[in-house]
Amino acid sequence: MSTLEPADGAGGPPYSLREALRDCAAKALSGVLEVTGEPGGTIHFSGGGVAAVETPGAPGPEVILLRSGRIPEPGWAAAFAAAAAAGTALGPELIARGLIGAGELEAVLRIAAADAMFVLSGGQVAQCRAEPGTPDCQLALEPPAEAGWLLAEASRRTRVLASMPGRVEHDRDRMAPAPGAVQPDVVLGQGWDEILALANGRRTPRDMAFALGRGVYATTLQLMHMYGAGLLVTVSHRVVTPAERAHAERAQAAGAVAPSGNGQDPPASLPRRRRARAQHLRDSDPDSGPDLPSWLRLLRPRSGGN
Amino acid sequence: MAEDGLLAEMHALRDRVTGVTGSALASRDGLIIKADTEVNEDNLAALAAASLGLAQRMAREVGQGALREAVTRSSGGYVAIYAVGSTAVLILTGDEGLNIARLHHESRATVDRIEAMLSGASPVHTGSH
Repeated sequence: MSTLEPADGAGGPPYSLREALRDCAAKALSGVLEVTGEPGGTIHFSGGGVAAVETPGAPGPEVILLRSGRIPEPGWAAAFAAAAAAGTALGPELIARGLIGAGELEAVLRIAAADAMFVLSGGQVAQCRAEPGTPDCQLALEPPAEAGWLLAEASRRTRVLASMPGRVEHDRDRMAPAPGAVQPDVVLGQGWDEILALANGRRTPRDMAFALGRGVYATTLQLMHMYGAGLLVTVSHRVVTPAERAHAERAQAAGAVAPSGNGQDPPASLPRRRRARAQHLRDSDPDSGPDLPSWLRLLRPRSGGN
Repeated sequence: MAEDGLLAEMHALRDRVTGVTGSALASRDGLIIKADTEVNEDNLAALAAASLGLAQRMAREVGQGALREAVTRSSGGYVAIYAVGSTAVLILTGDEGLNIARLHHESRATVDRIEAMLSGASPVHTGSH
């Protein structure tokens, strides 16, 4: 029996989304659950199980596979055209062409669905509307994932991020390298150099995830490690909702902050959304002081002469 | 500090709609007016003005009424182009996650406000008090 309740009630998804998912599972829905909100999205159901989760807030499997370079674009395009012409599914065509193994594709689809549910359920949900219909998504999880498992995993990820020192909002904080973080002829490794190159003050963790072809959760974890090590700073916040905009305009009129998006002075008092955090998580935050200069231990000189 | 109302509208749209990566405002003859983008703004302005003109001619050619927007969709994202009155073009770029239908909905008010500013009906610069 599946459960749609988070384990400890902390940081769980909005009631309406949890209830809607429970209903779709109980009714063995085939079709979609349209979630309006920020970022909102679409959850594809097949017989009550989740075949895919799509949201503007997280990269889907196509972005992950193409942007990471795992599948070359011409190969993807050829498989897409062949599947479309034959009226068959894209997944088996990718596998048949040797572009990806069946196990690896299933893993990517499952990871992408979990990442999208983490972003969707952690955002603002205005309304959920179920629309029965023929299952129809480009890359469907087979067998479908259990909605309860996806929600439990989303809650687990939220707790992990909440327990880390420092806060980085994956959908709000635009980040840039800290002064001195980018050193010539120095390679940090662990993918941190690519992130420093992308962090130009315009991109949020979600934006960087899209650029890298990685999940939002994994990218945010990396960014929070780098933020804690003093390599990144937040230079501005997205101002998304009318309430956030009203707050930002009042603060700006008072001369407290620079306009959003110019990437210059860090805002003094832009509103920060407070996700629900259980008291025991706040009390158990580990000692947040980084060992300075801990990131220096990661330095290794560039090899070869460039 | 005087705030640039045009840039403020463009920043606000990038904040409001997940997946918008940048924007630019250009004249119909392809010169940049304002830019909030990482790509070459002069090239973007020239291409967008030409694209809008072609798209409007295409809409007339097939008898489909007034052009609403011209969208270029590539493997890596979107470029959406909107006419701003008869004198300017608004260009929005977005990544693969952009909900293009939502962008069209959200950009409508932005286009109208920018048109009002350009026509002088609204102030472009709002001074601090």
